[in-house]
Amino acid sequence: MRQRMRFARLGAIVAAGALVLAACGGSDDETGSGSSGEGCGGSGTLVWAHEQEPGDLHLDDPENGLTITAWIRTGMWEGLFGVSSKTEFYPRLLAGEPEVVTADDGSVTVNYTLREGLKWSDGDDLTADDVKYTYDMVMAKDAADEYIYLLSDRTGLDTITAFTVTSPTQFSVTWSAFFAGWKALFGEVHPMHVFPADPAEAAAAENDALRTWNQGGTVLPSSGPLVFSEWNKGVSMSLVCNPEYHGSTSPDAVNTGKALVDGVQINFVPDTDAQINALKSGEADIIMTQPQLAFEEFGTNEEFTVASSAGPVYEHWGLNLFNTHLKKPEVREALALAMDKGDVMEGLYTPLFGDSLPAEGLGNVYWMSNQGDYSDATTEAGYGQGDIAAAKAKLESAGYVLGDDGIYAHPTDGVLSLRVGTTGGNKLRELQQQLLQAKFKEAGIDIVIYNQPGGEYWGAQPFNEEALKCANSGGKEGDCNVWDIAQFAWVGGPWPGGQSGVLRTGSGNNIYGFANAEFDAKADECDATIDDAERAACYNELNLYAVTLQKDAQTGLFMLPITQKPSFYAVSATRLASFGVAPDANNAGPLLNVADFKKN
Amino acid sequence: MLTYVIRRVLSTIPLLIGAMYLVHVGVSATSDPLASLRLCLPRCQEGYDRVVEIYELDRSIWVRPFAWFGDAIRGDFGKSEALGEPVGNVLLERGLNTAMMAIPAFLISALLAVLLSVYSARRQYSKTDYVLTGFSFLGLALPTFFVGLVLQVFWGVWFPQWTGMKPFYTGSMRTGSVLELLQSITLPVLTLVIVSVAAESRFGRANMLEIISSDYVRTARAKGLSESRVIWKHALRNAMIPLVTLWALDFAALLSGSVITETIFSWPGLGPAFVIALTKPDLDLVMGITILAAVIAIVFNLIADLLYGWLDPRIRFD
Repeated sequence: MRQRMRFARLGAIVAAGALVLAACGGSDDETGSGSSGEGCGGSGTLVWAHEQEPGDLHLDDPENGLTITAWIRTGMWEGLFGVSSKTEFYPRLLAGEPEVVTADDGSVTVNYTLREGLKWSDGDDLTADDVKYTYDMVMAKDAADEYIYLLSDRTGLDTITAFTVTSPTQFSVTWSAFFAGWKALFGEVHPMHVFPADPAEAAAAENDALRTWNQGGTVLPSSGPLVFSEWNKGVSMSLVCNPEYHGSTSPDAVNTGKALVDGVQINFVPDTDAQINALKSGEADIIMTQPQLAFEEFGTNEEFTVASSAGPVYEHWGLNLFNTHLKKPEVREALALAMDKGDVMEGLYTPLFGDSLPAEGLGNVYWMSNQGDYSDATTEAGYGQGDIAAAKAKLESAGYVLGDDGIYAHPTDGVLSLRVGTTGGNKLRELQQQLLQAKFKEAGIDIVIYNQPGGEYWGAQPFNEEALKCANSGGKEGDCNVWDIAQFAWVGGPWPGGQSGVLRTGSGNNIYGFANAEFDAKADECDATIDDAERAACYNELNLYAVTLQKDAQTGLFMLPITQKPSFYAVSATRLASFGVAPDANNAGPLLNVADFKKN
Repeated sequence: MLTYVIRRVLSTIPLLIGAMYLVHVGVSATSDPLASLRLCLPRCQEGYDRVVEIYELDRSIWVRPFAWFGDAIRGDFGKSEALGEPVGNVLLERGLNTAMMAIPAFLISALLAVLLSVYSARRQYSKTDYVLTGFSFLGLALPTFFVGLVLQVFWGVWFPQWTGMKPFYTGSMRTGSVLELLQSITLPVLTLVIVSVAAESRFGRANMLEIISSDYVRTARAKGLSESRVIWKHALRNAMIPLVTLWALDFAALLSGSVITETIFSWPGLGPAFVIALTKPDLDLVMGITILAAVIAIVFNLIADLLYGWLDPRIRFD
């Protein structure tokens, strides 16, 4: 009896403790409110549960190459141009489209005008001197050689011959020759007034300050709608509304004033199921998790809103042009013909993302489907539609004979068996591989799935040192049999000329082994074309080299684009009165249009 | 006793060095810190060279551990590139967060394990014993991540829907007040308790059953000692000896970071840090956490050995 009494007492203590906690427990709205600046917010703090936590806020630190770092900074530092949900540039800090003037010597001068009344969050004016400072600091290479790589890519900046500030809002930049990616430059303008005047010293100071977003004990001022507030490592980061914010000019923005929320709290929740539970339990207002896990569940629940869009990241199968089989254009074309992208879209993507992605898959590696200049070159060429008969005919024209096992073999090169590799553990990619594998088998092509863990895959397969040697030496050096087909993603953007960098002869990122002087010259020509429409058409021509045999019948067609990677977020419809534009068309994350978020 | 302790500590040093060497070589052989940097060459050439220098990637993987040992002996465990802090700071901060969760989880599960073991053993094959056995098997069968997620859904979604009250947070460590801390720590601790107590109580029950049917317990009863004195003073002490071994292993594992529980509840402990370190890969942090885990395991095994002597004076440390 005494024993029972003791257990009863213990149970009572536990129950009482639980009740005390319950009685004093959190409210239904766990997302609470935070301090806000003058004229800011007032609708509470937006809580975003996200899986990644940056190591620091140094965007170009190669050890910190996480997307989340850029997403956070986009809400704090604005640049001359922004990128809209159509993956197109729009003037962000600029008053309008700058004037482009060409000179007889081939040099090009762009005359910029900043918007009136731009301010940093600490009250200082944001002027043309800040833009000049950003340029000088990034270019201070000699004095800061050991760390300057951290601060910015100099492509396009290194051909600037003059940078002239004419007034607080006006400045001109002259390039020795036209640089097609000029709008992509100065994506962030840095605050001159908090760093040393000497560019080299400023570069050194920024190299430290950007890690903690703190210079000399003071938080770095913002030009965007949010100001850095606090970072509890491993737990959360807080950003508050910028009371000096000059408003957004994004074509996607509904609210062009200050943020409607007091701030944003980013909770770092590494587990995707836990993110979903955080949204359901009211501990988060927004999540950007793996769509296949949450989309269907939230899509049918009135308490949540889901939004998806076609992002700039695209999946493709890259072919090793030095593989015994793949060096034959007929084999590459057979793969392109047999690939059924519609099947992949219908089976994996359309049920989740509806018509935000084209049902026939992606047919261009320069322009994405949501961009105005997109053209589907692969469909036009008859590829990607699962044409098994045409694929077989191509293989037979190259001397392949169908074996008893239903797989083709070449009299001298053997059985047509190809390995496809990707970063293991990515469910969507693995399912994609399996769907395509089945289709290729129908065409008599044996596809062996050969994935490796994320960290290992790149170095072990497409970017293996010996494989790169092979690709860059025309197959004369290194090991050309490290990989056959690589499935991975490249990132597009509003200026697709950067894509040529991975296709040019001898480029460090040209894993395919494609080498074509005509292509290289054409890529130069495209990048030198000043007229936007002509340049866009030129990039579409370059695309034909990569995805068809039209321009290069021998070594063309080495990329099989499949689909854009859809981006997605889910928000609480009950706790948010409004939210920013669908998610990630420009790879900028939800903070780009944070001013449109409002809590109930 | 002192000689025994000194001998044990000294004997662990080569073990520790050997373990460190193998971990360093193993992680170096299976990871490629340059993988992502290769994607942006030649733009990132300087960064590439810097990482080669930091991790001495131009040297053989068999030689690299020695440089790390040299720095570690001087107290420099390197810097975690993934978390942007010195490894020593990460171990301290994250270790304390882990301990904050591990200590109550251990104490509660140990206490419950003893109580449930005694109860089940004394009432073997009773209805309550069957119920407790059933729950133990359930606890053993359910994976930790499932228990954690179920608790999150129950306390974070269902319970508030039913009652309008939300007593616990389902994720993140909140330190705004003691109450907030309790609210955020309860579910992860409960997860660890459920998983730990299932195994410990089964183990304890088996030991207890063996002890209470032994001759010396029968003698104690024959002497006329009260049942509670027989159980709690004479039987339990002996029954606890195997449990102490289990506790030492469990507690050492908890203090080294509960990867799954801490990840699910977004608890900033050593577990998630270890996952980040392995996936980056961040060799210095992997080494730091591994050495900490090894030291904790050795210390708690030593404590367990010493406790054997206290629990059973017949055990000598010769």
